[in-house]
Amino acid sequence: MTEKSPNQISDDLLRPLFQTSWKFFALVAFLGVFVVAAFASFGYQVYTGIGVWGIRRPVFWAFDITNFVFWIGISHAGTLISAILRLANATWRRPVTRCAEVITVFALSIGAMFPIIHLGRPWLAFWLIPYGSERQIWPNFRSPLVWDFFAINTYLIGSVAFLTLPIIPDWALVRDKAKGWRKRVYSILALGWRGTPKQWSRLETAMRIMAIAIIPVAVSVHTIVSWDFAMAPVPMWHSTIFGPYFVAGAIFSGIAGLIIAMAALRKFLHLEEYLLPIHFDNLGKLLLMMSLLWFYFVLAERLTAWYGNAPSEMAVFWSTQEGSYAPLFWTMVACNFLIPFPILAIKRLRTITGTVIASLGVVVGMWLERFLIIVPSLSRKFSPYSWGTYQPTWVEITLLVGTFAGMVLLYALFSKAVPIISIWELKVGMQKKSVVSSQLSVVSYGKAQKADTPLANEAAKS
Amino acid sequence: MVVDLDRCTGCEGCVVACHAENNIPTVGEKEAAIGRAMHWIRVERYYEGDFPNVKVKFQPVFCQQCDAAPCEPVCPTFASYHTNEGLNGQVYNRCIGTRYCANACPYNVRFFNFYNPVWETPLHLQLNPDVSVREVGVMEKCTFCVQRIKAAEIGAKAEKRELKDGDVQPACAQTCAPKALVFGDLSDPASEVSRLAKSNRATRLLEELGTQPKVIYLQRESWHDREKS
Amino acid sequence: MKTVKAIYGLYNDPDSAQGAVDALRAAKVELRDLAIISSEPFEEYEFGRLDHRTPMPWLAALGGLMGGVSGFLLAVLTQKSYPLATGGMPIVTLWANGIITYELTMLGAILTTLFTLLVAARIPDWRAKIYDPAVSEGKILVGVVNPREESRVELKRRLSEAGAAETKEVG
Repeated sequence: MTEKSPNQISDDLLRPLFQTSWKFFALVAFLGVFVVAAFASFGYQVYTGIGVWGIRRPVFWAFDITNFVFWIGISHAGTLISAILRLANATWRRPVTRCAEVITVFALSIGAMFPIIHLGRPWLAFWLIPYGSERQIWPNFRSPLVWDFFAINTYLIGSVAFLTLPIIPDWALVRDKAKGWRKRVYSILALGWRGTPKQWSRLETAMRIMAIAIIPVAVSVHTIVSWDFAMAPVPMWHSTIFGPYFVAGAIFSGIAGLIIAMAALRKFLHLEEYLLPIHFDNLGKLLLMMSLLWFYFVLAERLTAWYGNAPSEMAVFWSTQEGSYAPLFWTMVACNFLIPFPILAIKRLRTITGTVIASLGVVVGMWLERFLIIVPSLSRKFSPYSWGTYQPTWVEITLLVGTFAGMVLLYALFSKAVPIISIWELKVGMQKKSVVSSQLSVVSYGKAQKADTPLANEAAKS
Repeated sequence: MVVDLDRCTGCEGCVVACHAENNIPTVGEKEAAIGRAMHWIRVERYYEGDFPNVKVKFQPVFCQQCDAAPCEPVCPTFASYHTNEGLNGQVYNRCIGTRYCANACPYNVRFFNFYNPVWETPLHLQLNPDVSVREVGVMEKCTFCVQRIKAAEIGAKAEKRELKDGDVQPACAQTCAPKALVFGDLSDPASEVSRLAKSNRATRLLEELGTQPKVIYLQRESWHDREKS
Repeated sequence: MKTVKAIYGLYNDPDSAQGAVDALRAAKVELRDLAIISSEPFEEYEFGRLDHRTPMPWLAALGGLMGGVSGFLLAVLTQKSYPLATGGMPIVTLWANGIITYELTMLGAILTTLFTLLVAARIPDWRAKIYDPAVSEGKILVGVVNPREESRVELKRRLSEAGAAETKEVG
């Protein structure tokens, strides 16, 4: 990074909040069309019935649950980058943490809508909330869907807290630099933050506790989502590998999503001096590792299925390997492994463009992977008399496109209200580690030990 | 319930009777073509052998009322649960339509109301007043004609006696001309079903999955013998 | 932000701020009257680590424990109060209830942390407090709140001698 003064950093990173070009409004309008279309299709579906989708007996879940698992998976980006790198004290994370945490919150919000969207009677979704209803009945705590409810809500609350707490000091910064209506709004948002040592200390402690807490939550969320499948006796679903497989896949797709988001931000918000090639290089290496891990899991799952040769499982196995789902399957393998692997493994190709291409492939591949876990198994369930097929309808496709548009829209709106790179954390990273620190002892005010600095000694003398 | 596959002629009278008794909608040609037909009981046809030595096997399949039903623990709202009498109960009012139970059922005997069912006048006059009409978004399946079970129980209680074997006849068993479908109380050792269940022709569907289905299928040839012949 | 009576200096770098803090301490200023405000945490410096001990992690653990107990009780008591058999499983399924217990444990820890942060950092807080927007320009504010009349001049001198970019009196 060229040596920028802290004030320059503030100005650069606050510029998107204060300056908006017509291109932003055009983008919002464009994305808004798809989002509105998605909401309209959902309204149509609620009014008419799930029949407007392509699902049928025996494939009762398809695009709806694919989207659900996909978006929850994308939401694992923030946790990995923010929490794990924070705990590991990896300093290169600093410009990246907020981008990642934002992805988590929005992807999770979108993903969490699908358990409601896919219901036959969505207006009764509140029955999943454990409240003492007049029907004197509680949710079934044995059901993985109820586990989903608890896990996703816990993760959502945790992620929102994890995201918004470090934003408060940046909002205080905006409050001080803004004028007019912005100053009023941000004064309220900043909650009266000043920046005393006690406040900073408490904030950092809170962040550390939440980083430790959010990692097991994230692991549990996607494990529980995978158990929506693994707990049912469906061929190729009822496998113990699903928990770790899904968590690895989630982190994989999350990092890919993060790389794409960062590249877009870098380009459109002119953050070339903050989101550096080294960040993409490091994330690219992580993506490579996750790609290998994904390949390992897929290989382990399929090898054991093939070797075990159970008839019901082999029916599903061959349908994806050579049958009607084979084109999608091999596209998935190409997108998740064959294409990303050389791009990410060869240093010369692991540029910003390279990692973005690999990430785009991974996002497509991981969506296909979710689809291929759900639909082939359901379409080949035990008795061949009941085998079926699946074809999406325009309603499901509109919903899918709407989610992507919604994600980008939410991200764009967020970057206008909040500095997308955490300014105070970046400044902390730039602090020269003081020579004085070796002379410091932890002092509680008033005790005999005092700071042994030249200035302090001089002050003590006078 | 006992299904004697060697007696079943594949007439599908049971299917029609079930539709009539339980207010099951007919979904129409287009919907049926994509696999949304709702036949709580269906007669599966399997062809064995090549022409001219072809044999057709008929297998009526309906909810097996499993003792360890995989559809029950996965329902978030207890719409699918195990009754005290050992049936798998489906409570339409609790169902919010997650369709998890349908995915978990290995027998594919659960059906979903993709649209609001419509009975054009005067067909609405045929609806059975003892059975509810399900709205869009709700799962349904064979209930062993629980309305007839309940009616018989109430009648027996009013007459101050126990239920006898044969008091309750689900619509399919009542209609079955070759008497391939037999209904009764498996916990009563003197009942017809208990006697038939002890037959050496007895088998169950997908037994290896551990669902403990309550429907016993009788067929003369096991697949061992078929392989040999 | 409303302000109280205070004398403070604005410093360009943490070293001079540390010197100012030491100077004020030497002038017998109480900790609760000392005001230090910065736009970033300075953990490497002693002044950045004042009032640093906190029971927050223990409170979070306690909150997690309470969350876990409530999750367990929620699952077990509701299962017992409306016993519905499903799939041959026992009415009270400890394995499955463990998941609910776990999630509510983590939620309890997170919410407790959030709550204790808001309380400990005293946010939201719109009472009269010492503050200067110059802090957002990178300056570090070191000062005394509610100074005694007779020490005002002395304090101001000490603050400037420590290298303040400017010193101010408010209130």
